[in-house]
Amino acid sequence: MSNKKPSGQQPDPASRRQQLRLEQERAAKEAKVRRIISFAALGVLGLAVIGGIVWAVMSMGALTANKPTAAGSVNATYTVVAGDPKAPVVVDIYQDYMCPYCGEFDRVNAADLEALATAGQAQIRLHPMNFLDGASQGTKYSTRAANALVTVAKAEPDKMLAFNTALYTDQPAENTTGLSDAQIAERAKAVGVSDATIATFTQLSNADFVNNTTKAAFADGIESTPTILINGTAFNSKAIYTAGALRQAVEAAAKG
Amino acid sequence: MNLFDRFHRFRQSDAWLYAVMMIAAGASLVASFVLSVDAIVLAADPNAGLGCNINQVISCGAVGTSWQANLLGFPNAFLGLMIEPVLIAVAIAGFSGTRFTQGFMIGVQGIVLISLGFAYWLFLQSSFVIGALCPWCLAVTFSTTVLFAAITHLNIRDDNLFLPRKLQSAMETWLRLDLDLLVLIGWLVAMVVLVFVKYGAALFA
Repeated sequence: MSNKKPSGQQPDPASRRQQLRLEQERAAKEAKVRRIISFAALGVLGLAVIGGIVWAVMSMGALTANKPTAAGSVNATYTVVAGDPKAPVVVDIYQDYMCPYCGEFDRVNAADLEALATAGQAQIRLHPMNFLDGASQGTKYSTRAANALVTVAKAEPDKMLAFNTALYTDQPAENTTGLSDAQIAERAKAVGVSDATIATFTQLSNADFVNNTTKAAFADGIESTPTILINGTAFNSKAIYTAGALRQAVEAAAKG
Repeated sequence: MNLFDRFHRFRQSDAWLYAVMMIAAGASLVASFVLSVDAIVLAADPNAGLGCNINQVISCGAVGTSWQANLLGFPNAFLGLMIEPVLIAVAIAGFSGTRFTQGFMIGVQGIVLISLGFAYWLFLQSSFVIGALCPWCLAVTFSTTVLFAAITHLNIRDDNLFLPRKLQSAMETWLRLDLDLLVLIGWLVAMVVLVFVKYGAALFA
């Protein structure tokens, strides 16, 4: 700010005083605005923290609200099982219906898995997870599809593997909305699931089960999908995409 | 002098600005280091990309193996390993009282401007094109934002940038009113909200 006055070099004490006063007033005004802005910044930060806490508490509430449910062919450890429970080999499959590699795995191995289960050589334990829910544009496709699978596993366990494969046929790409509820129902019907069972899909009554499947898998240290365990030991992550490799490994394990 | 004024004064000081710069560059360096190690592990294991990795909420290994993650033919994170130590050194020198020439400070401003552009380009690419997000990449985006804010603050304060006079004085007014703080906090909170809305619980599942 210039102190030059148009009225000449001689400083006029009156106007100097006035200018000083103006400057002080301006500074006071600025300090006021600054205070408001500082409060606003604090407010935004505070709101964000409160929002975060509320969100955390709510998700904690959801966590404790999940009560374990176990019935029929459904394992208490949140898996759904196909095949003879007394079979010598247990194959665990951790999967998410939005995961393209899980689809790839199923397309390569579905027939072998079905045959192994039917022959009583292996018990197939599916772990339908939903950690990719964020990858379906808000439709939570992973949960909807996994819920449908668990519903079928509970009501009509013999259709489970076929329905699992049906969900992977023409699998929707990641970050699309996934299959609609109607499309999921259609695929269930195509593999012979009854209308009565299909009608209950949209109730999402097994969504908690799926949440728990996912949590249990995290707790078991599963790091990616698909993860395949044969009798509890991870199967080579490349061989799972090679036709016949899984079957051979299971048969080898059966021989002991 | 009340608390607000004292806080305001402190925010204009070399000590504060260079300390912020040091911390932000340090955080960025740590994140870049983790990402670099990841990139090497990924490169060594051709199967690493053949699954949906849970911890990275990646849509299925897409970020690390995408062309966007290796824009210059090597993992982007290597750039962080090169640049951040330089910025840390500058911050330490500034913190302990070194005066830099105007040209040098313009150079620093240029580097962080490029870093900022790159970080946000990647953020947008991974959020909206690849459709995936990794927490460490987000950490880089965050700390680069803070870094940029601190250095710009410094350069506006010292009138280093040859800005048009009107713009320079407007920016100085912003600094006097702490408006820059409000904008920065608002911006960071908005980003956090955006990420949470888009990825929600999956981020920490």
